Order: sequence, then structure tokens, then C-alpha cells
Amino acid sequence: MRILIIEDDLEAAEAMRRGMTEAGYECVHAPDGVDGLAAAQKGGYDVLIVDRMMPRMDGVTVVETLRREGDATPVLFLSALGEIHDRVVGLKAGGDDYLVKPYAFPELMARVEALSRRRETGAVATTLKVGDLEMNLIARTVHRAGAEIDLQPREFQLLEFMMRHAGQSVTRTMLLEKVWEYHFDPQTNVIDVHISRLRSKIDKGFDRPMLQTVRGAGYRLDP
Amino acid sequence: MRLPRTFRTTPFRLTLLFLALFAAAASAFLAYIYIATAGEVTRRADEEITREMNSLEAAYRQGGVDALNQTLIDRAAGERPFLYLLKDAKGKKITGSLAASPIDEEDADSEGERWASFKLTETDMDGAIVKRPARGVQERLPGGETLFVGADVGDSEAFVVGIARALWGAGALVIILGLAGGVLVSRNVSRQMTGLNDVVSAVRSGDLRTRAKIRGARDEYDELAEGLNDMLDRLERSMGGLRHAGDAIAHDLRSPLTRLRARLEAALIEVEAGKGDPTKALIQALEDADGVLKTFNAVLAIARLQAAGQAPDQSAFDPGELAADISELYEPLCEEKNLDFKAELVPQLTVKGNREFVAQALANILDNAVKYTPTGGAVMLRVRRRSSGEVEFSVTDTGPGVPLEDRLRVVQRFVRLENSRNEPGSGLGLSLVAAVAEAHGGRLELDEGPGSFDGQGTGLRVAFVMPRFE
Repeated sequence: MRILIIEDDLEAAEAMRRGMTEAGYECVHAPDGVDGLAAAQKGGYDVLIVDRMMPRMDGVTVVETLRREGDATPVLFLSALGEIHDRVVGLKAGGDDYLVKPYAFPELMARVEALSRRRETGAVATTLKVGDLEMNLIARTVHRAGAEIDLQPREFQLLEFMMRHAGQSVTRTMLLEKVWEYHFDPQTNVIDVHISRLRSKIDKGFDRPMLQTVRGAGYRLDP
Repeated sequence: MRLPRTFRTTPFRLTLLFLALFAAAASAFLAYIYIATAGEVTRRADEEITREMNSLEAAYRQGGVDALNQTLIDRAAGERPFLYLLKDAKGKKITGSLAASPIDEEDADSEGERWASFKLTETDMDGAIVKRPARGVQERLPGGETLFVGADVGDSEAFVVGIARALWGAGALVIILGLAGGVLVSRNVSRQMTGLNDVVSAVRSGDLRTRAKIRGARDEYDELAEGLNDMLDRLERSMGGLRHAGDAIAHDLRSPLTRLRARLEAALIEVEAGKGDPTKALIQALEDADGVLKTFNAVLAIARLQAAGQAPDQSAFDPGELAADISELYEPLCEEKNLDFKAELVPQLTVKGNREFVAQALANILDNAVKYTPTGGAVMLRVRRRSSGEVEFSVTDTGPGVPLEDRLRVVQRFVRLENSRNEPGSGLGLSLVAAVAEAHGGRLELDEGPGSFDGQGTGLRVAFVMPRFE
């Protein structure tokens, strides 16, 4: 996976680059909006990480320009601004996800991976399959190794998201954002309880658990 | 040279302006009255003189000079206040009460009537010589004689002068009273303004605790003073909040940061000695850092809401639906802790607000309820409309409750009651709820819950009240 980081904070960019290289991704860094736009226009990236406030050209303008030119590369906005309004502006400009600084690296990583995956999976799939777990999106049924699993609507959505990002870490914040559509951090472990309920439904009676807890990051559904 | 303070005030200047306008108007008015009255007095005297002249001419036409002479003698002896002078064709006085005609001889030669105003010299009862205004007419009779008839108009003229004098006096009195009134009013007004100005300069020099005095007159000065005091209250509160937050951030961030640093230092020593587990130390350090970040984000959210004064991106939504959504999020958590969770949501209500912030507020209230209610207790979420039209989200629990004297305090930033220090959390939950409520024109209310039983606490009822949807 090739990632373009457009970020004027050199230290933050370097930390990001190191972490991503460590995870096995190829990273290119552009220190401002103008350079970043030029690099993005050359193409060949799977995900763009774009800081909102930068010298010479701000992130929103960069992404708006790319989208106008027909470039659909997934964009993750980084911003020190955190209000809902800022998020809406970023997403309207063509951003696909939005992360507020300061962020935890696993959060950033999980979101970047989720974005790259989004591109790979076609939107037309009617069934999802991870290991021996099967989900029918039309009949809204779930089977594991042939046995039907009865899920509440929200549990179904939660599992669908986990299956679409199988093999990747997803954070609690991501789940709250993408499944429940709330953009705040609950103080208690509400998400953990939902996950453990889901886990008891899909893993109970099987010797190999699929829903894993990833320390310091969140959860991962393994095949 | 500077004028005394009183004379520089706006009310005094206004008084002067009005007095000047009044004086101009009064002068025009007086002038008009004088001219009209004086003209009328002269006209009347002239009429009477003309009538007398006519009657004398009639006597002359009937009986000639002798009859006229006789009539004049009769009349002069009577009560009539007229002055007469009859002269023959050669200008020699025949009879009359005047020694000489006030009308010049050359002028008298011309035909027709000749009118004149003149001064009459008289000796009054004390023997002093007085001059009185008089008026008269002279005519040449057909036989060549000249007849002058005049009248003393002194009394009438004195009347006019008296009126004018009274009017001028009244004008002067008005101006003096007006000036005095203006000084009094401006003194009074400047006393009010001085009070307010004192408050403003005290605030400017940094004293936020001074307040303007309300005199209870319910006038615009009281209104201004009340507005000023209200503004200062808010300012003081938010400054206090900022100062408190600054201290609290320092306090709340300092301890985890100190802990983080100590742990890293200890780990470094252990690892250097070859007996520590660096991974474990780093994981702990990350967790500590995340805690600091959470606190930081919560403080930032509150500060932004308070600075904006109003929640951004507001829209109308159904509070029951939102509460159902949040219930669904929290219900498993309650179940896990063996709490009896119930929701009573009145459908089809509407509120206006930022759904995201309201959801977060509700989540924070539920977080607290779940956190502080002991296992086996109950949590109840309600949405209803009050008779006032306000919409209330309330969460009632059977936890320890909050003592009356602490209820105001727990809403403040970072305040955590003694017995909750060991629970996880930033101490910012309810502060954020209060900030969200305020940013929607609503409020946060804390009450006693269902009451104590089974040795449990009194419970707590937290109500998040949103204003009526217009």
C-alpha cells in the first residue's frame, strides 16, 4: 500500500512515516499543500493523509482540487480543529474520514487501513464471507459453519463492519462512529460490552475465537 | 480652561439647548403680543379722537366758530379727557387746553387731517413735572380756523408696557428656573453615570467583583446597571471557570504526567539493569498518555462550547428517537453490571439542537448513572414534555446520590466527590453536560432520586432540560 502524507508538522509526519513503514507500507511525505497536490496528481497512492491547515494551500483546497479532477483516492483528514462543523466541512470537501489531533497512532493506522480496504471491496457484494462466517446482506442472516446465528439489528451492523474490515484492527471510536454514528468518546466501556455480546454469539461453541481484542487499539475479526 | 463637571454633562447641555430654543420662541411671542397690543391701543385712541373731532365739526357746521367755541369751553369743563386747541385763520389761539399745537405750523397749512403722537407736559399732584404720551389730530375748518383734538394715552400705553414687562419677567424667571432645573437634573444624572463609570473603570483595572448599585427606581439607569451587573456576573463566572480550569488542568494533567514520567524512569533503570520488561512499561505509558489526551479533549470541548455560547449546526429532531438510540447503546452495559434498565420515552416530541452534542450529554449522564449505581440497582431514562413546553431528558438511578450541598459543585469542572475518586473518569462529564445544556438555552438539574431503601443511597435524578421548540 502506498500512502501520501501531506502534513506541515515535520516531526508528526516523520513519526507517521516511521510507523507506517514499520507496518509494511510505502510512505511519501509532502510538507505543504502545493507540493502535496502535485504529488497526489501524479497518482499511484492508495490513501492520502491530509492535514487541514498548512502553509501555501490548505488541505480542504487540495482535496477539492483533486476531486474536481476526478481523483477518487480515499482521503483521511487530520485536523487540530475538532468541532462537528469542521468535520462536516472536511467531509463535504471530499474527505472520506476525519481524525482530530492529537490522535493515537493505532487509531490513525486502523482508519488508513479501513480506507484502503474500502477501495478494494465492491459495493455490490450481497454476501460477506470471513473464514467459516457468512453474512447474507439481503436476507440479513448470519451463519457460522452452517449454523444460523440470531443477531439483533445493531449486532448485525457491528458484525457487518467487522467483516468488511476483517483482518484489520478497528478502534472503539471507529465502531462508535461508523456503526452508531456518534462522534464522541464514551467514558465507559460501552463498545466493549456490545463486542462481548457479539463475541458470545459468534464464538460460543467454537474452539477458535474469531473476534480478537487488540491491545491498545481495539478489535479485529480474524478468518 | 475646563468647565466644572456639571456643566459638561450631556443633560446640562441639552438643558441649555432647550432654554435657548425656548428663549427664542418666547421673544418672538412677546414681540408679537407687544406689537399687537400696542397697535390696538393706538387704534382705539385714534377712533375716539376721530369721533370727538366729528362731533365738534358738526357743532361748527351748525353754529359756526362761536358755537364751536362754546362747545369746547363746555366740554373742557366736563369730564371728557380730551385736549383741545382752536385757532383762528391767523393762527391765534381762540380757546383750548393746550398752549400750542404739537403739529408744526407749515404742516398745518396743508389740507386734511394731520395726526401726531407727542409728549404732554403736566404737573402732577406732588408738583413734579411729568411727561405723558398723547396723540392727537388737527384739521383746518372751512372758515380757515384750525382745530386740534388730542387725548392722553398714557394709561393705555402704561398698560402695554406693564404687560411687556410682565412677559419679560416671566421669561427671565423661566430661564433661571430652567437653568437651575438643568443643573439639578444633570447633577442627578451624572451621579448615576459616575456610579456606572466607576464600575467600568474598576473592571478595566481588573477588579471583576465590583457591581453597580441598583437604586430600585426601575428606570433605565437601573436597567443599565442590572445589565452591567449581569454581564459582569457572566464574565466573572467564565473567568473563574477559566482560572479554575487552568488550575484543574494543571492538577489533572500533572498527576498522570508525573506518574507517566516516574514509570518511564523506573522502567529505564530496570531495563538498563537488564531485569525489566520494556514492553510492559511502554504499554502502561501509552495508557497513561491516552488518559491525558481524553482529559484534554473534554476540556477543549467544554471551552469551545462556552466560547461559542451557542451549539453549532442546530436542527430539529425527535428527542425520543435519540434517547432510544442511546438506550440501545447503554442497555447492554447495564445488563452486564446487573442493573435494571428501563426507558420511558414520549414519542413525537421535537427539540432543536445539535443532535451530536445532546447525544453526548445523554451518554455522559448515563455513563455516570451506570458508574455510580451499585450492582442490583436500577437506572431509568425518561423523555417527556413539561407543562411549560420544555423537553426533559431525565436519568434516575438508585446510586448513592449527591448531597444537596454538593449538587452545584459536581457540575463544575473536575469536581469529583471524595467517594468517587477511585472510579475512572475525568471529572468533566457533568460539566460538559451543563455546557451543552447552556449552549442550547437549556439547563441541567440535579435532584434526589427515588429515595433510599435497603441501605442504599438516595439515588440521583439528573434532568437535561431543553427549551420549548418554536
